[in-house]
Amino acid sequence: MIRRIGRNVTAAVFCLVWIFPVYWMVLTAFKPAGKILSPTPEFLPLDVTLDNFAGALAKPGFVQDLANSVVVVVSVVVLSIVVAFLAATALTRFRFFGRRSFLIGVLVLQMVPVPALVIPLFLGLKSAHLLDTLPGLILTYVALVLPFTIWTLRGFLHGIPVELEEAAMVDGATRGRVMRSVLLPLVLPGLIATSVFAFITAWNDFLFAYVIMKDSSGYTLPVWLVSFSTSTGTDYGGLIAASTLFALPVVVFFALVQRHLVEGMTAGAVKG
Amino acid sequence: MLLEKAPTRERTPRVSLLPYGLLLPAAALLGLVLGYPLVRLVVISLQEYGLRSLFTGTTRFAGGDNYAAVLADPQLLPVLGRSLGFCAALVAGTLVIASGVALLLQRLGRRMRTAVTLSLIAAWALPNVASTLVWQWLFQPGYGVVNWLLTRLGFGDLTQHDWTTSPASAFTLVWLLVVWQSVPFAALTLHAGLSQIPRSYYEAAALDGAGPWRVHRTITVPFLQPILGLVTILSVIWDFTVFNQIWILTQGGPGGGTTTLGIWTFTRAFSRNDFGQGAAIAVVSVALLAGLTAVYVRRLVRSGEDL
Repeated sequence: MIRRIGRNVTAAVFCLVWIFPVYWMVLTAFKPAGKILSPTPEFLPLDVTLDNFAGALAKPGFVQDLANSVVVVVSVVVLSIVVAFLAATALTRFRFFGRRSFLIGVLVLQMVPVPALVIPLFLGLKSAHLLDTLPGLILTYVALVLPFTIWTLRGFLHGIPVELEEAAMVDGATRGRVMRSVLLPLVLPGLIATSVFAFITAWNDFLFAYVIMKDSSGYTLPVWLVSFSTSTGTDYGGLIAASTLFALPVVVFFALVQRHLVEGMTAGAVKG
Repeated sequence: MLLEKAPTRERTPRVSLLPYGLLLPAAALLGLVLGYPLVRLVVISLQEYGLRSLFTGTTRFAGGDNYAAVLADPQLLPVLGRSLGFCAALVAGTLVIASGVALLLQRLGRRMRTAVTLSLIAAWALPNVASTLVWQWLFQPGYGVVNWLLTRLGFGDLTQHDWTTSPASAFTLVWLLVVWQSVPFAALTLHAGLSQIPRSYYEAAALDGAGPWRVHRTITVPFLQPILGLVTILSVIWDFTVFNQIWILTQGGPGGGTTTLGIWTFTRAFSRNDFGQGAAIAVVSVALLAGLTAVYVRRLVRSGEDL
């Protein structure tokens, strides 16, 4: 009994600590300017306004940067899913020379510290005339998420019995058709999980967007967000409202598919 | 060699080019955007690559000059120690809290478990940059709610305290943020692992009269090991290369007091425009991380049966 109370109290304290920053962000976003910069905080939404959101959306660059972010995210998700699915199919449905080396290569690439790649990528994109362009950023993100997406999709495909495809082939379906109408529907949860991962990586990245997108074509949203704090001060109302808007799509997607994501991560690990 | 190992139920087409065709796009992208830059990184680290080379495209071979300069830099040892110590503190914090939460989740009632899970997901889903900016706001001198709370709790008047003015408190600020951000993934993954342990194991152990500690040691820990290994290795990689949080919160300051290898690489390359030395620092950190993760990768490769 005492144990159970102890556990529930611990859990409650944990919840409070972990949810508070998120709560504080949303609450601040709706507070009127006078209450944001007040030395004594108010913990309940007593006075709600949309001014901060209006201010954030009116900030220059928002439309351009939002458009950039959307283009980048959609391209990265589509490209990485297609590429990773093809690769994962090859890796789980065929035995061929070099298969193991490829897998080990993928694993090793996943271990590479990403910030270390900034310099050569910057220089490489510069000589390919892709600096300051969306395709440059898109290619970077696709490659960055590939080790993880290949690995995860491979885990999912591994769990689907080959017999199902063989049965379809016996019935006269071609390999392409088997892939489309047997494999694809079964692996859908895995595809969702990996697309969320690609989505989040591309939507959230700051470092590469900061380095690769310099000015002429605008930024992506994470860089736009940081531009709220300048050396002359920070517009906290606008900044926090913008952060809330920025977080919204991710929170929604995440809540929908979080289970698949964890499943995908662990699928590979348990078998190891 | 592979053909012998192939399970009999799997088809073994003779020589087919199809799998290579399927792999081609992935291989090309990985090679061009990860593989080639890695090689290029090493090459640049051996070149004199500054602003001039950026415009003219010509570089001079510098041999080991960049490495010599980096190794002779009095900043090297502090940065190295800081990076390793910081990584260790972050990984330890994440794993201890996450394991605790995962075990707690197993024992909670349904409603409380949902509440904890939702808090975890909320923290996890908040984009990195957004959480970092919210953090700045929480710890803001003058108006930050954390300072207000600490003052109320009797830690003295901290309302005007600026967390980024001393390296120790700046590190604390970053530590709290990164641990807050990384516990959800670790805890949920570990919990997923825990819930895959068959209940019958525990029932059998209870019949045999095993105490809770013994059950934990002989069933839970061994079963959880692969996932714990994965979570640990990913935490090491992520925490060793933490960039955004430090860059946005402190820019490596005050006085270089929170400059880790990642920040050092970046400022050398992009603020000082010395790409050669920046690359040399990056090569050193890749090598360090490779050393840290080698044991794990080797084990994975060895257990290659299902690879």
